Amino acid sequence: MADLSVNLAGCRLANPVLLASGTCNYGEELAELTDLSGLGGVITKTITPSPRAGNPAPRIVETPAGLLNAIGLQNPGIDAFIAHRWPFLQKLNTRIVVNIAADTVEEFARMAVRLDRLQGIAALEINISCPNLKQGGMAFGVDPASAAAVVRAVKQATELPVIVKLTPNVTDITQVATAVEAAGADAVSLINTLVGMAVDVNLRRPVLGNITGGLSGPAIKPVALAMVWKVHRAVRLPVLGIGGIRTGRDALEFIIAGATAVQVGTATFTDPNAGIAIVRELHQYCVDQGISRLSDLTGSLAT
Amino acid sequence: MVVDEWARVVRHRSVAAGIYSISLEVPVIAAEAWPGQFVQLRLSDGIEPLLRMPLSIADARPDVGEIELLYECVGPKTEALSEIRIDTRLACLGPLGHGFTWPDSAHPSILVGGGIGLPPLLFLGRRLRAAGYAAVLLTGARTGEKHLPVAWLNPAASRVMQSTDDGTLGHAGLVTGLLDAELDDVAYPMVYSCGPRGMMAAVARNCRVRGIPCQVSLEEYMACGIGICAGCTVPVHRSDAGTHSAYGRYERVCVAGPVFDATIIDWDG
Ligand SMILES: Cc1cc2nc3c(=O)[nH]c(=O)nc-3n(C[C@H](O)[C@H](O)[C@H](O)COP(=O)(O)OP(=O)(O)OC[C@H]3O[C@@H](n4cnc5c(N)ncnc54)[C@H](O)[C@@H]3O)c2cc1C
Ligand SMILES: Cc1cc2nc3c(=O)[nH]c(=O)nc-3n(C[C@H](O)[C@H](O)[C@H](O)COP(=O)(O)O)c2cc1C
Repeated sequence: MADLSVNLAGCRLANPVLLASGTCNYGEELAELTDLSGLGGVITKTITPSPRAGNPAPRIVETPAGLLNAIGLQNPGIDAFIAHRWPFLQKLNTRIVVNIAADTVEEFARMAVRLDRLQGIAALEINISCPNLKQGGMAFGVDPASAAAVVRAVKQATELPVIVKLTPNVTDITQVATAVEAAGADAVSLINTLVGMAVDVNLRRPVLGNITGGLSGPAIKPVALAMVWKVHRAVRLPVLGIGGIRTGRDALEFIIAGATAVQVGTATFTDPNAGIAIVRELHQYCVDQGISRLSDLTGSLAT
Repeated sequence: MVVDEWARVVRHRSVAAGIYSISLEVPVIAAEAWPGQFVQLRLSDGIEPLLRMPLSIADARPDVGEIELLYECVGPKTEALSEIRIDTRLACLGPLGHGFTWPDSAHPSILVGGGIGLPPLLFLGRRLRAAGYAAVLLTGARTGEKHLPVAWLNPAASRVMQSTDDGTLGHAGLVTGLLDAELDDVAYPMVYSCGPRGMMAAVARNCRVRGIPCQVSLEEYMACGIGICAGCTVPVHRSDAGTHSAYGRYERVCVAGPVFDATIIDWDG
């Protein structure tokens, strides 16, 4: 029996595989199709202070080895989340991370205060990296000082561990990572989607209603890996690796490059059981390689 | 219950120009399937194509554990499916979504299909008739060679009328013209429709004006098919999913539909 458990900012996960925000909704649909209790955790779709309708169609299109999306953070808002989504999530036998976004620093803090009162949240993940919004969204995540201001405000508002989700759409991701570390973040997760676009040549129009969208899936994995490696070397915080992970080997690449845990996103759309399959493959790898504790591999990249 | 079944291809043949019928052995899905529901077929274990492909269930035979799908080759995924041979195995997730509901009366209902929107209506017509209801089928295509053979159409309805845009088969013009003439003549209890969005919008408008209930099956571009990505949403006037829905203005087609009461949809939105 290999030990797959990890310690994430004081929070113990049974294994390092979580479902990424926006790719598992609030758990209800997937609970019928896969064993959520076999995962390290589930991260909610981003919630915002008020309900958001999201962007007009088309919102998604498949691209080579990837998916472009411009959902626009469609979500019921924090009130409906607490009243109608949290009771279900709370009963799940896995760690729940609640992902939040807001247009102002004050709103981020007010959300954190309210979530702090709920029993059973494992951590907050701050989304300062959504590329599909007119305001707010990525604006905080591309500027180290703004990102730090959000983190300071949220840290003051809650005792919960705070994970900061970083955008790859910056010149140097380590600058934002070091800024949020100094501001008190407990962990960083990366990457959110890369800004991308697709064109319909017959109509000579953008395919997506929002014109641009966020690219995810296997196409972004090498970019994500390089960023995880750089950030792991630049900060002392645990790193959650995200981007195109669909097999145990993909997850291992991230762990070896410096990730303490990983998040699985787009892969779940093709296989609702992808996260569980990855956990199984990680375990098999440890058995085959005689590794007793998977977390020993974090950052073990020989260079 | 939704299952990811390991489907075996039992039959696969061309039935009209660029249109294929594929029969899959999927006993659980075949037993559970209801007209209007769909499956998500996985065409590769690798990354190309990355996502599954949604296809409507065109018939389900619980006795032999088979479903039939009908599809038109329009791009990479449908082309890839057309190459797949008998006895190949494919992951098949289903049955997904909410299907059609029965009319209030046993008088014939009208099924209006445009292009490759026909498959769910064929399944519906068979099940309606098996349950003691009657059905009339109106089906439109661009040209005669895109029409399915009558062997596929006849089991679904007691009367079938075809139209083509170019006049090479049946009524020359749009299938909505056929519908108009029918609705002028007979008081139908229900209109069911699936096809291009513009066609369904016209059918919905016509039914609303005449006060006839209308159910449409929408085929929005989908990623997951199970309600977790919110990629396939359509604008709605009101939500059927209750006050807990996160989906006030936009409803997810894959789980709230693909079949909707046509008056819920904001056709201009
Ligand atoms: C619930 C549902 C049921 C469906 N049932 C059937 C069916 O029974 N038979 C059938 O032939 N097709 C059906 N479709 C459509 C089918 O899924 C698409 O034709 C297929 O995914 C196209 O993939 P492709 O790679 O071959 O072509 P692509 O290159 O992806 O697309 C080719 C063209 O088709 C359009 N298109 C792509 N996906 C869709 C879509 N989901 N809906 C409408 N247009 C699309 C594109 O805009 C493009 O113009 C259904 C779709 C849904 C959502
Ligand atoms: C359809 C879709 C919706 C997403 N929604 C969110 C979201 O609400 N909040 C967020 O922080 N990230 C969101 N993401 C980004 C993912 O969590 C993840 O960072 C990204 O998809 C890269 O991982 P992947 O390649 O495994 O999908 C979304 C991604 C997709 C594909």
